[in-house]
Amino acid sequence: MADIATIAFYFGVITYSVAATLFFMELLRKDGDGARSPWAPRLLALGGVLHATHVLTASLLSHVCPIDSLHFALSFSALIAVGAYLALRERLRLSALGAFIAPIALTFLVGAQFVGQSSEAALGVSRTLLMFHIAANVLGIGLFLIAGAAGSVYLLQEHRLRTKKRVAHRGSRLPPLDSLDTTTHRLLLAGFPLLTFGVVTGAVFSRQLTNPGGAESLRSLLGYATWILLAAVLVLRKTAGFSGRKAAYGTIAGVVCMLLVLLMYVVRSGGGGNL
Amino acid sequence: MIVVVGLSHRTAPIGVREKLVLDAAGLPDFLRALVQRPELGEALLVSTCNRVELVAAGRSGFDSDLEQVAKACVEALDVHSPGIAPHLYRHVGGAAVRHLFRVAASLDSMVLGEPQILGQVKEAYELARKAGTVGSVLHRTLPRAIRAAKRVRTETAIGSGQVSVPSVAVDLTREIFGDLSGHTALLVGSGEMAEAVARLLKVGGAKVVVVGRTLSRAEDLANAVGGSALPWSALQQSLVDADVVVTSTSAPHFVVDYEMVSAARRARRGKNQFFIDLAVPRDVEPRIETLDGEFLYNIDDLSKVVSDTLSTRTREAASAEAIIGRAAEGYDRWADAEQATPTIVQLRARLSSALEEELSRSLRGKLKHLPEADRAALSKMLESAVNRLLHQPTIRLRQAALDRTQDSLSLEQLSAAVSELFAFDAELEAVSSPENALPESDTAVENSRLSLAPKARVVASRS
Repeated sequence: MADIATIAFYFGVITYSVAATLFFMELLRKDGDGARSPWAPRLLALGGVLHATHVLTASLLSHVCPIDSLHFALSFSALIAVGAYLALRERLRLSALGAFIAPIALTFLVGAQFVGQSSEAALGVSRTLLMFHIAANVLGIGLFLIAGAAGSVYLLQEHRLRTKKRVAHRGSRLPPLDSLDTTTHRLLLAGFPLLTFGVVTGAVFSRQLTNPGGAESLRSLLGYATWILLAAVLVLRKTAGFSGRKAAYGTIAGVVCMLLVLLMYVVRSGGGGNL
Repeated sequence: MIVVVGLSHRTAPIGVREKLVLDAAGLPDFLRALVQRPELGEALLVSTCNRVELVAAGRSGFDSDLEQVAKACVEALDVHSPGIAPHLYRHVGGAAVRHLFRVAASLDSMVLGEPQILGQVKEAYELARKAGTVGSVLHRTLPRAIRAAKRVRTETAIGSGQVSVPSVAVDLTREIFGDLSGHTALLVGSGEMAEAVARLLKVGGAKVVVVGRTLSRAEDLANAVGGSALPWSALQQSLVDADVVVTSTSAPHFVVDYEMVSAARRARRGKNQFFIDLAVPRDVEPRIETLDGEFLYNIDDLSKVVSDTLSTRTREAASAEAIIGRAAEGYDRWADAEQATPTIVQLRARLSSALEEELSRSLRGKLKHLPEADRAALSKMLESAVNRLLHQPTIRLRQAALDRTQDSLSLEQLSAAVSELFAFDAELEAVSSPENALPESDTAVENSRLSLAPKARVVASRS
């Protein structure tokens, strides 16, 4: 079993790396009108399968539920992002977004190895609630990662079209602005209830802690900031037509806050994770 | 080797080019008539708006007298369109191959890098194949030209972007909205270029609305592009509904100003909107670009994109030429090696026929009791023996054809020796007509040569 986990991990890393390279090569291709190679998304899907195999086998070995530890939760978030991207790419013409999703998945797969595997249940809070808390956050992070990537690509594409520079060169490889905007919005809509649940349960856990400390408070604060930013993006879109560039900036700000929360978890957990 | 005879936009004005029009229906007969000429063995015709080129090979394949073939092509075209001969250019041998490769790669096109020419070359090849006027030489040459052209398109940016203002405008629209179906395009005013943009948007699936100061003219234009017309008074409301706005009026002032767009933007709830201003003086106030989600390209912006694209293509032409150069060199090497083919074919035919005769004599005599399966096995065994026996001689002959140094025996010396040893002169039979054309793929060609079937006993002559 340990061998399977290790092999799946290393092959997952290789497959994600090759997929990321192919996606970037696709962006740099000179014949903009040429047919896209099917290998990049296929390899990303294969990487996802290997990734899932690694998470499942490694969690079985550790006797830890995949969503019960930060180690696997981080890894699982990237897996969700890969799955969501593969499901949406054809429908929303998001092929170019793979150049962002594949490296993110790779980073999270590898990065999760450096995070301790200790179970959060040790903190003395309800184990069931904790599992739901982590599951909701994992799913939400996966969706918000793509939303953040779509928002970033939106800004790139918008800047290119607005400044009218290099319009003749890299056209038609980045997704259309409307597709990126729609993707960002839909993913925010899908991830927001999960984020809300995560924030509420997180607040409950914070109350249960006898001495939360400064880092814990800052983490909660960033969690609330994420929620407020993304809620504002959604509400303003509905009420004041807050879309396009402004929505992209708001989404990216929210995702950055979310990543800071994750970073604080990582720092708190310290290194020492293994396969 | 091949010859190319024809005319193009570089060598003949349209008045001359239009004389040499060959209708598609009559083309197979024209090609068949061509290969009936004693010098011509294979022919195909590439015909586009800007060029008509006859690509031909001689009746003796790679050993044909190409000057005679070229002369025959000129005569044939001059007979079809009297007086055309002085305008025709001729490329012979390696130069013809390079020319054909460059044409297929769109390096000789009026618009550098245009994609249609490759399809037209493929069509010409297909049509000639169906007409039965493609033989071993063109079967080997055209696929190489097509492969080289594909490499050029994949490995360089020679075909990148658009090179006309309407196409650039529509490409940009797609970069903002993606699929155009479900989107509305508003055409304000008229003008040839605006009409072209509207037509392309309509083809892309957009709904087209025309607004004009004179409703009847707007209606005419709307009918022409497959849209609907609205009076000038509906302009403000139309701005709310439109995702793409194409303006082309002769007004001396802005017809779409900042306030109008700002108001429309509020009603559109921040949805992206793209203005294509084709008018001079400009119709759309440039300040609208400061509004979030509003994109504006005027005629200068679009022309600059076209100019940048053309510059890129021109820069990429050098890389494309290098690819074509390498492909042509590869062809030359292959063609050199092909000079050994007649000797190899003769040798194989001689051995095969001798063994076949012996086998059939034995099967009629001592071995007549053998069942069909054993007979087939014997035949197969002899075929394998011929292949093994001829493996090294084939390699040596091809190497000799490629090796032009004085260090080893030349192809001519080896061929003469083989001819002398096997007494080819006693059994020569010319063959290079189209009906003996070799199959397309290299493997198929080799297989057909390796076969012991009676049809392979045709003996090729070396002129």
